[in-house]
Amino acid sequence: MNAPTPAIVARPERLRLVGQRRQILAIMHQRLMIGMLIYGGIVAFVVLRLVYLAVFGDHAGRKGGPIDLAPTRGDIVDRNGQSLAVTIDAWTIGIQPAKVIGDKFALAQTLARLMPEKDAADYLGMLRSKQKFFYLRRRAAPSLVDSINALGEPGMALSREPDRLYPQTALAAHVLGFTDVDGNGSSGVERAFNDRLIDPAKRGEPLMLSISSPVQQALEHELSAAMTQFSAIGAAGIILNIHTGEVLAMTSLPQLNPNAAGNGSPEARFNRATLGVYELGSTFKPFTVAMAMDAGVIKSLGQMYPCPGALHVAGRTINDTHPYNRACSVTEIMKESSNIGSAQIAQQIGSGRQQAFLKQMGFLDKVAIELKERGRTLSPGKNWNLIETMTVGFGHGIAVTPLHLASGYATLFNGGIFRPATLLKVNAGHKVAPGRRVFSEDTSYKMRALLRLVVTKGTGKKADAPGYRVGGKTGTAEKYHNRSLKVTSFAGVFPMDEPRFVMVMMLDEPKATKETFGFSTAGWNIAPAFSRTVSRIAPMLGVRPDKKREANMAEVLPFDHDKDE
Amino acid sequence: MSARGFGSVFAVGGIAVAALGCYLVSLRVASERAALESVENKIVLAQRDIRLLSTEIGTRGRLSQLERWNVKVIRLSAPTADQFVESSFQLATLVRPEAKPAIEAPVVLASAPAPRRDGPVVTSDSGVQEAAPRVSRPLGEMMHIASYSKPEPKPSRMAPVPFTPKAAAKPAAGAKANAEKEGAAKVGAAKASTGKSAKSSSADPLSPLPTLKAAATKSAPTKMASTKNGAKTGASSDSGSGARTTTRPAKEPGSHQ
Repeated sequence: MNAPTPAIVARPERLRLVGQRRQILAIMHQRLMIGMLIYGGIVAFVVLRLVYLAVFGDHAGRKGGPIDLAPTRGDIVDRNGQSLAVTIDAWTIGIQPAKVIGDKFALAQTLARLMPEKDAADYLGMLRSKQKFFYLRRRAAPSLVDSINALGEPGMALSREPDRLYPQTALAAHVLGFTDVDGNGSSGVERAFNDRLIDPAKRGEPLMLSISSPVQQALEHELSAAMTQFSAIGAAGIILNIHTGEVLAMTSLPQLNPNAAGNGSPEARFNRATLGVYELGSTFKPFTVAMAMDAGVIKSLGQMYPCPGALHVAGRTINDTHPYNRACSVTEIMKESSNIGSAQIAQQIGSGRQQAFLKQMGFLDKVAIELKERGRTLSPGKNWNLIETMTVGFGHGIAVTPLHLASGYATLFNGGIFRPATLLKVNAGHKVAPGRRVFSEDTSYKMRALLRLVVTKGTGKKADAPGYRVGGKTGTAEKYHNRSLKVTSFAGVFPMDEPRFVMVMMLDEPKATKETFGFSTAGWNIAPAFSRTVSRIAPMLGVRPDKKREANMAEVLPFDHDKDE
Repeated sequence: MSARGFGSVFAVGGIAVAALGCYLVSLRVASERAALESVENKIVLAQRDIRLLSTEIGTRGRLSQLERWNVKVIRLSAPTADQFVESSFQLATLVRPEAKPAIEAPVVLASAPAPRRDGPVVTSDSGVQEAAPRVSRPLGEMMHIASYSKPEPKPSRMAPVPFTPKAAAKPAAGAKANAEKEGAAKVGAAKASTGKSAKSSSADPLSPLPTLKAAATKSAPTKMASTKNGAKTGASSDSGSGARTTTRPAKEPGSHQ
């Protein structure tokens, strides 16, 4: 009985096998679990994401955020809020030769028909070139854009680009200036305030100038009428508020259209009001008299000076257009614009004091205004001797900008305080610039009657605008290079009994006409224009005409010894 | 047991509903927000359009363009100093009507019979107003009658001027004072068949009177009516003014022109 070998004992291999299988099973479970977790994780992620989107996400119809309305370059408006410069989205037409699919030859011919500034051959050349992009037209008219679009040519690129538009065209062109194609200011306010205009924080707010459009328009119109009438090559005009220094209007002719500044001639782009310097002649005499009064040289407007037919000084001869040939008072010197008298007054003031006064009034520096186009005064400089002092006394031998002159008159009539001119409207955000006293108030007061007399009885009669109490001084200067060419100007203040505005108008090389009886002096050409302008602008500026009011003429009338009028 | 078994189901259902509710709320909020944004976008777009259009208007109506029109067509010029007025009073003086010299014309006492009209005869002040509408009579008839009479010495403002009519008017005025005389006047009026009202002297005193006679003859058929009127108004007129009474006699001088 040898019992068979008990079979109960598992064979070791088998045992091993069982252990192995269990192990494998465990691993499989583990893997399965991992796979399930991954799968579950993905599902959970998707679900969570969906929930998140449902709670925080946007709905399908959502568009982009609100459009930013602020223009890429700030607007410029006048003192009443009327737009002078705006940035608009203009259509730009371009061409991408690589994308053209149609017949290039036919396309070139169509383009030549639509945009005749180039001919078909030029367009064909563009279409066949390897260049990626050509600009065909900036600021295209909508009708042109429509017809280009109707071509259905994918190679034609139509896009909108911000572009600078000056709605009033030539109005105040030299004040505003213009921008280059990239939208950077290249002259005028556009240049002077370029940083302010493109500053993202400030460009939403328009830049408010001190210019008043209606006044500017009146000035430009009357000035250009005078310029045409007298065939002048140019003209300039400035209106200042004498108390704040605000420039209400400033123009330079010939006109310039800033919308197409590149097409303007260099002559038109030149700002005569702030960049051009001129010998302005007799309009300087009031300064000489005021300096003399302040310096104590003139004690009274009745002080007498010898006024011979001609005065010989240091080898030069000074003449008068209206010689007295007798002793004349300061009042008369001013009334008939006597060079001889003014020269003597200037001589008494002396070179040093004269320069000090001119310096105080800003005449020896670049003109004080925000623009970058500012002229540099031409003065005798180091050679400021006797004869120079005398000629400067009547406005020769010194060349200043018309704006200098306007600022000077403002100083003279606002009580004697110099203030720099400004192109920004004076308000809470822009205070009146601090001034410096140049003349005493008494001098300023007496000058009123003196200049009023020039208009009522003297050389500036044609500048009078009835009821507006205009006072002012004519100025006629010969050009240095050609004595027959003149620069005539009129600097005036109104209303003279309580001065508020100063206006300077200037004609460059006016010619005599039949109506002026062959005269080309200021009293004949610019003075009437001055009168017409005052009649137009004074009501806008709140000056009421009143024939019953007048400056205190008692200051001067006793000293006017001409009884012939 | 079974309720407890469903408890978890309810819980799951409740949570699902709550979650769904939350989701709907947030969906609603999101859509509202989106609607708001689209409105804001529209506003911005409208503002851009406004800007564009105002730029266009400003460009088309630029001052230089207006100036050109003015120079070529309108030709307005700056006002002169005299065109400014000091005050509303000064302005009023500019529109003051032309002063007409007071009419010193004779008060012609119209006597034209105009029986066609059977309006009430004018009595007193109010009578003048009544009379106003009947203006469409022949010119000659539009002659005027003193509407006020007092005892002789003092003719009224519209008192007759020395002229034949005046003589007649005065007795008439005197007559008016008492009722009997008035009655007599009435009779006279009836006879003359005028019955027509007093008129103020505002009509042109210089207008011709020639038609009176013709009017008188023509108006004969309507005599009765006018008499009636005369009687009626006569009754009402004792109270005072004698507009009517002056009328009657007045016609006589009128008619004998």
